[in-house]
Amino acid sequence: MFSRRQVLKTVSSGFGYVAMAGLCAEQTRAGFSSPLLPKRPHFEPKAKRVIFMCMRGAPGQTDTFDYKPRDRKVISSNITPKSKGKYSGKGPAGSVVPFSQYGKSGLWIADSMPNLGQHADDLCLVNSMHTDLPNHPQSYLMLHTGDFRFARPSVGAWTLYGLGTENQNLPGFISINAETRVGGAQNYGSAFLPAIYQGTPIGHVGAEMSEAGIRNVNCKHLPANLQRRQIDLVQETNRELLEASQVDTQLEGVIESLELGFRMQTSVSEVLDVSRESESTLERYNVGKTKAVGRCRDDDFGRQCLMARRLAEAGVRYIEVCHSNWDQHGNHVKEITANGQAIDKPIAALIQDLKDRDMLKDTLIVWGGEFGRTPLSNENGGSNHNNKGFSFFLCGGGVQGGLRYGSTNDTGAVAIENKVHTHDLHATMLHLLGLDHEKLTYRYAGRDFRLTDVYGHVVHDIIA
Amino acid sequence: MRVSRLALTVWILSPWCVSWAADDPAAIEFFENRIRPVLVEHCYKCHAADADKVRGKLLLDTREATRAGGETGPAVVPGKPEKSLLLSAIKHEDLEMPPDRRLPKEVVADFEKWIRAGAADPREGPAAADVVHQEIDIEAGRKFWAFQPVVHPSVPNVRDKSWPRDEIDAFVLARLEDAGLQPVAAADTETLLRRLCFDLTGLPPTVEQRARFERATAANVTSAVVDLVDELLDSPAFGERWGRHWLDVARYGESNGNSRNATFPYAWRYRDYVIQAFNRDTPYDEFIQQQIAGDLLPAPSVDERNRNLIATGFLALGSKPVIRGGNGKGFIPDVAADQIEVTMRGILGMTVFCARCHDHKFDPIPTTDYYALAGIFASSQTLYGGSRGNMGGAPATGFHVLASRDAGEVKAYEDWKKRLANLQKRQREVGREVKKLRPRKKGAAPKNPQKYDQLLAEQKEIAKELKKLQQDRVEPPGQAMGIAEGDKVTEVPVYVRGEKASGPPIPRHFLTVAYEGEMPSLPPDSSGRLELAQWLTSPSNPLAARVIVNRIWSHLFGEGLVRTVDNFGVNGDRPTHPELLDYLAAEFVANDWSMKRFIKRLVLTRTYQLSSAHQDKNYEADPDNLLLWRHPRWRLEAEAIRDAILTASGQLDLTPPQGSVVESRGEVLIQDKLTPDTFHQPSNHRSVYLPILRNGLPEMLEVFDLGDPSLVVGKRDTTTVPSQDLYLMNSPFVIEQAQHFARLLQAEAKDDGSRIELAYLRALGRQPTDPERQRAASFLAMSREALEKNTADTDQRLTDAWASLCQALFVSAEFRYLR
Repeated sequence: MFSRRQVLKTVSSGFGYVAMAGLCAEQTRAGFSSPLLPKRPHFEPKAKRVIFMCMRGAPGQTDTFDYKPRDRKVISSNITPKSKGKYSGKGPAGSVVPFSQYGKSGLWIADSMPNLGQHADDLCLVNSMHTDLPNHPQSYLMLHTGDFRFARPSVGAWTLYGLGTENQNLPGFISINAETRVGGAQNYGSAFLPAIYQGTPIGHVGAEMSEAGIRNVNCKHLPANLQRRQIDLVQETNRELLEASQVDTQLEGVIESLELGFRMQTSVSEVLDVSRESESTLERYNVGKTKAVGRCRDDDFGRQCLMARRLAEAGVRYIEVCHSNWDQHGNHVKEITANGQAIDKPIAALIQDLKDRDMLKDTLIVWGGEFGRTPLSNENGGSNHNNKGFSFFLCGGGVQGGLRYGSTNDTGAVAIENKVHTHDLHATMLHLLGLDHEKLTYRYAGRDFRLTDVYGHVVHDIIA
Repeated sequence: MRVSRLALTVWILSPWCVSWAADDPAAIEFFENRIRPVLVEHCYKCHAADADKVRGKLLLDTREATRAGGETGPAVVPGKPEKSLLLSAIKHEDLEMPPDRRLPKEVVADFEKWIRAGAADPREGPAAADVVHQEIDIEAGRKFWAFQPVVHPSVPNVRDKSWPRDEIDAFVLARLEDAGLQPVAAADTETLLRRLCFDLTGLPPTVEQRARFERATAANVTSAVVDLVDELLDSPAFGERWGRHWLDVARYGESNGNSRNATFPYAWRYRDYVIQAFNRDTPYDEFIQQQIAGDLLPAPSVDERNRNLIATGFLALGSKPVIRGGNGKGFIPDVAADQIEVTMRGILGMTVFCARCHDHKFDPIPTTDYYALAGIFASSQTLYGGSRGNMGGAPATGFHVLASRDAGEVKAYEDWKKRLANLQKRQREVGREVKKLRPRKKGAAPKNPQKYDQLLAEQKEIAKELKKLQQDRVEPPGQAMGIAEGDKVTEVPVYVRGEKASGPPIPRHFLTVAYEGEMPSLPPDSSGRLELAQWLTSPSNPLAARVIVNRIWSHLFGEGLVRTVDNFGVNGDRPTHPELLDYLAAEFVANDWSMKRFIKRLVLTRTYQLSSAHQDKNYEADPDNLLLWRHPRWRLEAEAIRDAILTASGQLDLTPPQGSVVESRGEVLIQDKLTPDTFHQPSNHRSVYLPILRNGLPEMLEVFDLGDPSLVVGKRDTTTVPSQDLYLMNSPFVIEQAQHFARLLQAEAKDDGSRIELAYLRALGRQPTDPERQRAASFLAMSREALEKNTADTDQRLTDAWASLCQALFVSAEFRYLR
């Protein structure tokens, strides 16, 4: 085995660089080592990667995954402590859209999502979520960073910090269709963790997904072969400098990262180019479907799911997609039904594709929003914010399928059994990734910080 | 006894209660069999008098202690399960105990039953307060090095008497000699020129500067260097460079970030203040006093007064949380938390923040110190703006109104403001009276119809006048974020876990452990900020001078003598050269806290002027260069890289811009279509003037590690990641600058050879080597050929080819590294 410096001295062609980078990726010797290289988790992980499907706006649990028939006598004051005035309604509250049972497990799922229903036996419905506040901005940040008062690293950044990433040619943490409100970039930021752990955005809410990409990965001003020669020229100078400097790990890092950057131009464009998929695949993911609800086009969410699959296949560690139209203060029934229809096929297609590739077993899909909604008693009404009880679903990545965990009260408003706080969700996600949320710490300002602060319990009951 | 009577009542009234009384033998038996074993097994480890460390000041090993409870309140209220924190904790409702697992449901049910039935408990012994008061030992804490008074140490003897140029060098050499190491040779003058220019101004040497320096060094190196340093320190670029270092500490940002990203339109005034303070060489003690209490300092002139008001922006610029619920609770404490953090960590290198929730676990800082400081800020009024609900329900505030030299302008504004205030006051009065007289039922007659109608008419009139007054708005001469005295002095109690008030208000005071002598009581009629500012920078304060000299050192030597520049506490690093640190602090104070003079002295030392060469023996012994055997190599900061690109391309505009893009947009929320990108317009000004939006930094600065502007960052990360290379390879900014660079070369030099030479000079500050000349020439030829297909325009093709070479220089490691 020869040392990297020897390699640097002898290699001069573009081909050689690639070979050298291969060597570097497995480096174990002292000297420069990328902090993004895969790291050993605390214990054997069940999941290797996460696809977080963020439903911004707070999905109504009783009209998606928490079936509450309204044929009971419930007084309006039971709906939720926060629900008053025009939202309170009269009479029994609960689900205002039809539900059906799916799979061997017989999980109840709203009729707007029949395709997702086909995967019921792989879903773990958590019906007992709760969080601190019923306000979007705080709870959205809470969901993404575990805190809403101070700038803290996002879940994805903690994950990269703990595990590194498998494909050094792609960013390890990607946030597709990122929010611009409610915390904006802080939701995928690294705060006090080194900046390399922050998420890379692709597009933002309101932008066309078909045109969204990662900044600066496309070289348009030079022919590709000329750019290669340009980089060769640079690297030759860099190597001379390294030789003159004798030992300089930082400089070695620059040489390596430049090659990586060069390669990322190709790898990123390839992985994000969904046009390479077959017609039938595109159709399964709703790509090209022009229907829209609110500012969300079906085509946009479909593309996100398809990109998520391609990124997961390519070894990206943490991927977030976002559907941002779940704040049904008015027009509740129509919109929540349309939302269900919009996400149904793409998510089902994603789960199916992961199954086909035998990747569902180690890909953790997490679906949910910043909180839930007040259940309606009147289908013509609108629903309000509710942090006391809402639903998430998890799928793959070592969670039990066909399981309904925890429950809300009669109306579906308040989690009462096996409650799961946002902090508990975070602790569980890290646990599935092989990380102990109490040990994944970072020293900043003289103290050890962690994602779950002083809270969080792993929900062992949902782990397969 | 009240408690037991209460328990008895509950017992009698509760049909579901088992049939024994609190002192019933059956009740005691239930306790002994079902409760005590659980307490012993799961709770005593942290909640018994013999625990290693009692947590939450709670003991559960006697009846009285259990009922008295800990920090958060009574653990058990007999007969009242819903009020018993112990039960809620084992149910994992709010507190979660035991922390590592949940007790089985049956056990929880036992506890509920036990408490409901009166919580019979035979365990005698004193209540918690007697046992658990684990005071932090302040006196012991004072022995820690950072709290020791600064002494002026004697200069050590060294064997090589010829080496030290300054006493500072003697301190460094003494350590090296002790370790048997020899410093490397001095840097060559070309390297030194580049180093000094970047370190002092953040800009590369210009071609003219280089030529001048070359001539001067040929005559006399020492005086050439001194002259150069003087020239650099005198240039406005010095403040733009060193001001930015302070802005990192001051967590400077022009928008709120957090979940409601409202703009801070006047934040830029603070930025300009800081830059000017460095250029003016404002003594550091005054600099700090202005930022903490500028509004309370005497100011003989209008300009000074304005400067002092703007300086207090330091305390107002923080990122603020959206308030809970909308009633303002939690907001003021969170703002004070940010102010304590930036003051204590920024100026004293102390992580006082930890003491918000509990006594500091490592440093001798009790919660009472935190809340004593919080009282100072709670007695002040922070002026951050936040109109139109942009801060998510936080109460909107005004700004400091700056004075103008034009007295008429100020008077017009003051008059307008007074008229507005009077009218609004009258409106409220009339409103109240109308409400009093308004008939309860619709259609009924009011109590005093004549007066009622009169009031209604007046109400209309006022509304009309108000509308007119708003239309004829008189703008203030200028506004600034900052802090002012509050309406009243508010001392606050300790909030356990930062949430729950307990005990009496804490008198305002400073950090006990760092205060020498008896803590003075602060005036009852003012916030105490002025006294805080004076204490922070009093010569008896052991921390302020040490922290700032260490910060300055770190910007010139890559690392501080204390490497954790923001943390001088127990968890921070110890100084590598403790005597030198004290020597520097003492000298700094003795020289009137002058930062320019201090920087000048440091850069003229032999230590600073060492080369960055590798040396095997030294490297083996001290790979981290803790003993300063060479000058470090480091990557330029984001701003310096961008400014260097603009310098090379000839596009840099050295005039400071007026204000900031953010001001021109007013108070708005950055969201939806108003993305941060809409603020980041192309600019050729120095990078320090780019809009620093939280959650939306200028792309280039973010890619090269500017860091999160919501946090105090005394030392930035230096990462090496592909996004940096991709930025240099493909970003529109770099591509455009390469084009400018190419056109400049074509215009200023006649043939290829001299163009290549000029390119290297402008970009890297040196002549190309022969092999470099050849490589550049052959790359250029190849580039021309490859671009033939791109465009038919031969002139443009030629420029493109040159631009591809220029860009290669920008991408090269040497461009962004300093040695």
